[in-house]
Amino acid sequence: MIRFENVTATYPGQTKSALEQVSIDIEKGEFVFLVGASGSGKSTFLRMVLREARPTSGKVYVAGKEINRLASWKVPALRRQIGTVFQDFRLLPNKTVAENVGFALQVIGKPRAHIRKVVPETLELVGLDGMGARMPDELSGGEQQRVAVARAFVNRPMILIADEPTGNLDPTTSLGIMNLLDRINSTGTTVVMATHDVSIVDQMRKRVIELVGGHVVRDQSEGVYRSHGGGRH
Amino acid sequence: MQLRYVFSEARTGFRRNLSMTIALIVTIFVSLTLVGVGLLLQAQATKAENYWGNKLQITVFLCTANSRSPQCTNGAADEAQKQGIQDVLTSHPEVASYRFQTKQEAYDIWRRVYIGKDKSEQQVLSTVTVEDMPESYWVTLKDPQKYQGVEAAVSGMDGVNNVQDLRAVLKPIYEFINGMKIGALGVAAFLLLAAVLQVANTIRLAAFARRREIGIMRLVGASTLYIQLPFVMETLVAAVIGVVLAALAISALMFFKVYGGYFGLPPGLRSSPIVEWIDWWDAARAIGGIAILGVVLTVIPTLVMTRKYLKV
Repeated sequence: MIRFENVTATYPGQTKSALEQVSIDIEKGEFVFLVGASGSGKSTFLRMVLREARPTSGKVYVAGKEINRLASWKVPALRRQIGTVFQDFRLLPNKTVAENVGFALQVIGKPRAHIRKVVPETLELVGLDGMGARMPDELSGGEQQRVAVARAFVNRPMILIADEPTGNLDPTTSLGIMNLLDRINSTGTTVVMATHDVSIVDQMRKRVIELVGGHVVRDQSEGVYRSHGGGRH
Repeated sequence: MQLRYVFSEARTGFRRNLSMTIALIVTIFVSLTLVGVGLLLQAQATKAENYWGNKLQITVFLCTANSRSPQCTNGAADEAQKQGIQDVLTSHPEVASYRFQTKQEAYDIWRRVYIGKDKSEQQVLSTVTVEDMPESYWVTLKDPQKYQGVEAAVSGMDGVNNVQDLRAVLKPIYEFINGMKIGALGVAAFLLLAAVLQVANTIRLAAFARRREIGIMRLVGASTLYIQLPFVMETLVAAVIGVVLAALAISALMFFKVYGGYFGLPPGLRSSPIVEWIDWWDAARAIGGIAILGVVLTVIPTLVMTRKYLKV
């Protein structure tokens, strides 16, 4: 589903690479944690999956497409297959919960009847049944993140990318979000989650890819947050 | 594609940037009006050129009893002198035809064009007689541009007071129209530059105000066109309003100044207008021109700026 082949990425004007010779293969339906300190290249990795960034050398395949060769007018089609969740939720404050979720379908031209049917279903799936008419600022942080997850998942993407989705949430709420992502993963959606949250990674026992200074230092199934004898954190 | 979103976004954008949009409309309006006036002046200059060019004649004025030219030492031109001039005109290769105008004809035209009911004009009328008017030959040339040959051939002849080339008389008028045209188009060019920069600023503000929506739209895979459309709509509406206002201004100018001016002329001139005036067809073409210009000069910077600011 996502394959990096010897990917090196250097931002313009910088000598040090954000990613260096990274090769990773993520299968369809996998749940992967991406861990590492700030500046280790996690964000660059996610940006490349979304084709917000492109590799300086090497190849990145997402959903069977090589992103470096993808014409820019085909990028929207790629992104429709990827849902994204952020630490800061990024909801539209002047739209209701249902409108926020529906927005993702509306702007890619889905018919209104489809939106009216799918949005309540998705809200129910994320545990926000009947809260569609609320405004985002009436919700707790955890609920807002559920809205964001609903928006990312409403188009049933093949890949869900989560960049520190629990970064602004307390441990109990975080657990709820993790259960939700796990549930989404069990529908066959590939989930890639970048995180600093030790307890969550240790608890979930999923595949862990650790980045240090742009290098993959560990790629372990059922891993924990800290690498053995690494001592880098 | 759901256009409802596009229109509602364009509408909110319009409201949000109201002062900016009004400034944009005013700039587009004034600059396009000036462009339109420039185009009308251009059309008028062309019309005048054709009109006078077709009728372009040189006029050979003969001596009267009062003439002071060296060739007029014997007083009014006599029959022998006239015959000599006619021979030259008949044999000259550049002359297409010529017509003789008598003193009486000259007097009638002068009286019709220059003498109104005004008291001082009546006084002038009472002192001028038919005998004061010069006889003249109105010479039509084969090629209006080549007037020098004929002029040289007759101007030194006895009995010729002076030779007048219509082109020389009209030159200041041409220059005036041209100056006005260059002035209008020059000012319009600066204003159009301002309009383009205002489009850029409006887009910048609108993109900033909608940056959350745009970020999400890009993320969920909305097409570039879909993201750009509300911006294009917003500036397009401003452009259309500006164009409509400019079209109204140009129509008003046509109605009150050109036609009003024409019908305000004294009857003598109205029946034989000194020049062919621009008509509604010219105005329609000028309006069509500014409509295209207005839309192009707002939509293209909008597309360029949205690409820059949205990085889509």
